[in-house]
Amino acid sequence: MAAADTPSATTLRRRDLCSRGIRLARKMRSDVADLLDIYVERQGLDASISVAAVEGVPAAAAEHWSEQTGTQRLLDNLAAYRAFRTLLAQMLEEQREQLGDADAALGRALAAVLLQVSAFAYHLEELLELESRGPPGDEGDGPPAPPRLSLFEQKLRGLGVLRELAQWAVRSVRDLRQLARPGPGAGSAPGLAEGQ
Amino acid sequence: MANPVPSACCVVLAAVVVVYAQRHSQQDSHIQYERVGADVTMKCGSMDWDAAVTWTANGTDIDDSHLNGSYLILKNVDLTQSGQYSCYEGSSWHLKYQTYLRVGTPPKEPVLMCRSNNYPKGFYCSWHLPSPTYIPNSFNISVIHGTREMVCEKDIFPKNRCHIRYLQLFLTVKYKVTLTVTNALGKNSTSLTFDEFAIVKPDPPESVVAKPVPNNPRRLEVAWQNPSSWPDPESFPLKFFLRYRPLILDQWQHVELLDGTSHTITDAYAGKEYIIQVAAKDNDIGTWSDWSVAVHATPWTEEPKHLTTEAQVTETTSASTSYFVPPPTTKICDWWAVRPWQCVGQLDWSWLLMVSSLFSEYAPSWGHERWGWVLGGHGGLRGSDVVGKGDTKQAVGEEHWV
Repeated sequence: MAAADTPSATTLRRRDLCSRGIRLARKMRSDVADLLDIYVERQGLDASISVAAVEGVPAAAAEHWSEQTGTQRLLDNLAAYRAFRTLLAQMLEEQREQLGDADAALGRALAAVLLQVSAFAYHLEELLELESRGPPGDEGDGPPAPPRLSLFEQKLRGLGVLRELAQWAVRSVRDLRQLARPGPGAGSAPGLAEGQ
Repeated sequence: MANPVPSACCVVLAAVVVVYAQRHSQQDSHIQYERVGADVTMKCGSMDWDAAVTWTANGTDIDDSHLNGSYLILKNVDLTQSGQYSCYEGSSWHLKYQTYLRVGTPPKEPVLMCRSNNYPKGFYCSWHLPSPTYIPNSFNISVIHGTREMVCEKDIFPKNRCHIRYLQLFLTVKYKVTLTVTNALGKNSTSLTFDEFAIVKPDPPESVVAKPVPNNPRRLEVAWQNPSSWPDPESFPLKFFLRYRPLILDQWQHVELLDGTSHTITDAYAGKEYIIQVAAKDNDIGTWSDWSVAVHATPWTEEPKHLTTEAQVTETTSASTSYFVPPPTTKICDWWAVRPWQCVGQLDWSWLLMVSSLFSEYAPSWGHERWGWVLGGHGGLRGSDVVGKGDTKQAVGEEHWV
């Protein structure tokens, strides 16, 4: 009886990874919010400007979010953060080309968030390993090479990337919390909230 | 021979119908809306300007000073002049025109609010006018999300509210809600633009309960429940903010609680009644709820000890919670206010000796203001304080606190 009630090692490991992942995602969200402020100011943009969906940027928006399985959540998150890793690296490169060392603060903030995104992607890979699925290969993932854009278009694209990353950070917290909930198994357990 | 009674009835009935038709054949009856302060001219239907007419307002004749020929002139109308206006032909008293005048104002910019208290299900918007128009208004609300127009379903109650179900979550695209209010005198509108996270605000926690902890004079246990409108607290947990203060103080103390729906206050002032409230917020997005309904509670206090020859008397010389109560063999005389030896006949001698020694050490003069020294600092009693267990109270004297 007692043994049946005791969570398995896998369950405990999953909960531990999810808890740490939630903390990572929250920290990332906070830093992305700060980065957005710096980016808007340094790039001379209006914070309220609307940016159309940017090609190659994974959208956090989800229909029927509550019905996703745990594995699907992990795969969607991993694909997104791998893409953001590439996009942020591109932004960092563009920023260095345009401003060089003139704007070290923006460069540092971008680099810090890039590091967190990379760490989170690795964390998600660990979770997928735990699900005995293993993470999909990284070759060929990620967004296509950025089109040749004007300077202003680059700035708008960067704004769109950061805004979408901020949404993903919130979504990831929710996804990991769903994953950590006790249930028949992450692979088959959908969320319980209805109406989505 | 035909019965004359039914025939007579028919004739009378026909006459009534004819008279009614004549009276209403040439009259117009409708509603007329005018602004406060406007000048209103009413024509008596198709009557000529120089026709002899009589105007009434709500059945009362209107003075000829308001007439210009057969026209009724109302200058600078106000709200009290709303009502039914009728015009009758001079001698025949045929009703020639009738209107219902409604005096009002065009709508000011409405006040619009949107909020999600049931995330992630959806959100609602509610509205009102900052001041009444005194005439009927209609409201139209539109919700645009990106390029998509969404339908905001009107609530049956309250009438000035509608709700929208989220079709997608975690969108960066903002919602734009536009409310237009229209009446016969004009229209006005307002818009709100917001993102999905910004409007999340739960309802206050429910069923807040606060209880004393037995044998713990500085503790209160507080418990509450998630608001019932929050649909999935397991997937979208709430965090809480608790504030509390003794009634006698204005300053609140606050505690933020990241999980659980209970908390034990451990630094309450002994014997003081507290007021406690709780607020809720989603762990990651949105804003704090309003404060819950306030609850009151008083920490546990010890019942007065009865002193006997075997009992130990507790001294009050430190800042810790302590009591100084008269022995049970004493009637509760105002011994704060009188020299103790005036109660000699009623006092236990050991108690008297103790009082005397304290008195000579701390209160060489008999001024009442010195008595506070005897009781000590924080946690000690004032003369107006009470002792008791739970909610039972027993006065121990007048107020003489320093």
